[in-house]
Amino acid sequence: MENLIANFNYVIVVILMMIGLWSMLAQKNLIKKCIGMAILQTGIILFFISIGAKNNALIPILTEAAYSDPDVATVANPLTQILMLTAIVVGVATLGVGLGLAQKIYHQHSSFDEDEILENQRK
Amino acid sequence: MMPSLPIWQFDVLLLVLVVLFAVVALSIRNLMGAAVVFGAYSFMMCLIWAGMGAVDVAFTEAAVGAGVSTVFIVSTIYNTSATMRSRPGGMAFKLFIGVVVTLAGVFLLSALPDFPDWGDPNSPANATVAPYYIENSIRDTHVPNLVTSVLADYRGFDTLLETIVVFIACIAIYSILRIETAKSKTDEPEEDIATAPPSYDPSDSLIVRQASRFMVPFMQLFALYVIAHGHYSPGGGFQGGVILGASLILLAISFDLKFLLRQWREKPLMLLVASGVCLYATVGLACMFTGGNYLDYGSLDSVLPNDRAMARSHGILLVEIGVGITVMFSMLAIHINLASNGRFDRGL
Repeated sequence: MENLIANFNYVIVVILMMIGLWSMLAQKNLIKKCIGMAILQTGIILFFISIGAKNNALIPILTEAAYSDPDVATVANPLTQILMLTAIVVGVATLGVGLGLAQKIYHQHSSFDEDEILENQRK
Repeated sequence: MMPSLPIWQFDVLLLVLVVLFAVVALSIRNLMGAAVVFGAYSFMMCLIWAGMGAVDVAFTEAAVGAGVSTVFIVSTIYNTSATMRSRPGGMAFKLFIGVVVTLAGVFLLSALPDFPDWGDPNSPANATVAPYYIENSIRDTHVPNLVTSVLADYRGFDTLLETIVVFIACIAIYSILRIETAKSKTDEPEEDIATAPPSYDPSDSLIVRQASRFMVPFMQLFALYVIAHGHYSPGGGFQGGVILGASLILLAISFDLKFLLRQWREKPLMLLVASGVCLYATVGLACMFTGGNYLDYGSLDSVLPNDRAMARSHGILLVEIGVGITVMFSMLAIHINLASNGRFDRGL
C-alpha cells in the first residue's frame, strides 16, 4: 500500500494509457479514436514529467542568488520537461492531421462510424 | 506519517479527477460534449504538471491542449456531425479489447516496483545528464530558465526537427483537405473574399465580437512578451506561437472566417509557415559560416557585440522567434483548413 501511494502517478499513467488504447481500438467513432489518441499521449507525457520530478524542488528557473552556484537538488529536472514540451506541440499537430483525415472520410462516406465506412467500401 | 509521503492529497485528487474526465470524455454520446470535457481534462493535467514543477509544460498544455486542440475538434465537428450513431451489438468485441488492454496494463503495473520512487533526486533520469544543464546553463548561455536553454541550445537539433514535424503536419493537412475552389464551384456565384462584405450571422453576439476585438491586441502583446521573455520566465517560442495563433483563431470564430481571410491570404500564410523553419535553419548555417558547428550559437560572437555566452543567449532568441512564427501560422492554417473544410472561403 505504501508503495502504491508512493508510485500513484505511475498507476494513473498506466490507467490513462489503458483508457486511451482501449478507446483507439474499441471505439467505432473516428473522433473518439482521436480523443483516445490524445489521452494516451498525455498519459505518456505525465510519465515523463513524473520521472523528472524531485521532492522539495523548485521550478527549473534559477533565482538570481543561485546564478553562481546552483544547487542541483533544489531545481526540477529540465530535460524531461523540454522533451515533453515539444511533444505536446507535435501532439496537437498530429491530432490536427488525424481530424483532417476523419473529416475527409466523413465527406466521402457521411459517417464517422467505422462499421458504416467499411460497409460503404464493400458496396 | 503523512509528511513522509512523497505525494500529497491535492495531487491524488487531481489524478483521480483526470481519470474521471478521461472516462467521461470517451463515454459521452455527444461529440461536442466530448470535446469540451477533453478541454477540462487538459486543464486538470496542466494543474498536475504545474504542481510537479513543470511550469513550461503546464503553460504549453494550457495553450495547446486545453485551447487549440479543443478548437480543432470543435471545428471538425462543425463541418461534420456531433451525434454518434448507436448500433446494437459489438459488446463482445469491446470486452475482448478491454481484456487485451487490461492485460497490457497489468504487465506495465508489474514493472511498478522496479521504478525509482516518485520524486527521488537520485533516480537515473535526475542524476545523469540533467545536473550538467542545471550547473552550466548560466555560465554557458546566461539563461536562467533552464528549459529554454536546454530546448533551444543544448538540444537545438531536437527542437529544429520538432519544428519541422509541425511544418510537415501543416502540409499534410493541406494535402488531405485542401480543395481548389474553382473546381468545386458548381452554381455558387463567384465571390472575392477581399471585397465581399463580412457576413455576420444575425445570431452572433455583438458582445462576443466587441469583447474579442478588444482582447486580441492584448493577447498578441502577451504572446510577444512570452516569446521575448522566455529566457527569464516560463514561456518561449512554442507557447508564444500558440497564443498568437489562438488570438487569430479567436478572431476567426467570433467574427467570421472571411474576416480573417481578408487579412491572411493562403499563399503568404504558407510562406510564413515555411519561413519560421527557414529562420531556424539559417541561424544554424550562420553559426557554421562564423566558424562553429551547426546550431553552435557561441561562434556568433564574432558578429554580435557581446561575449560568447551572450551570443548563445541571442541565438536562442532568434531560434525561438523562428519556432514562434512556424507554430503560430501552422496552428492558424490547420484551423482554417479544418473549419472551412479545405475550401478557404467560409466556415466556423
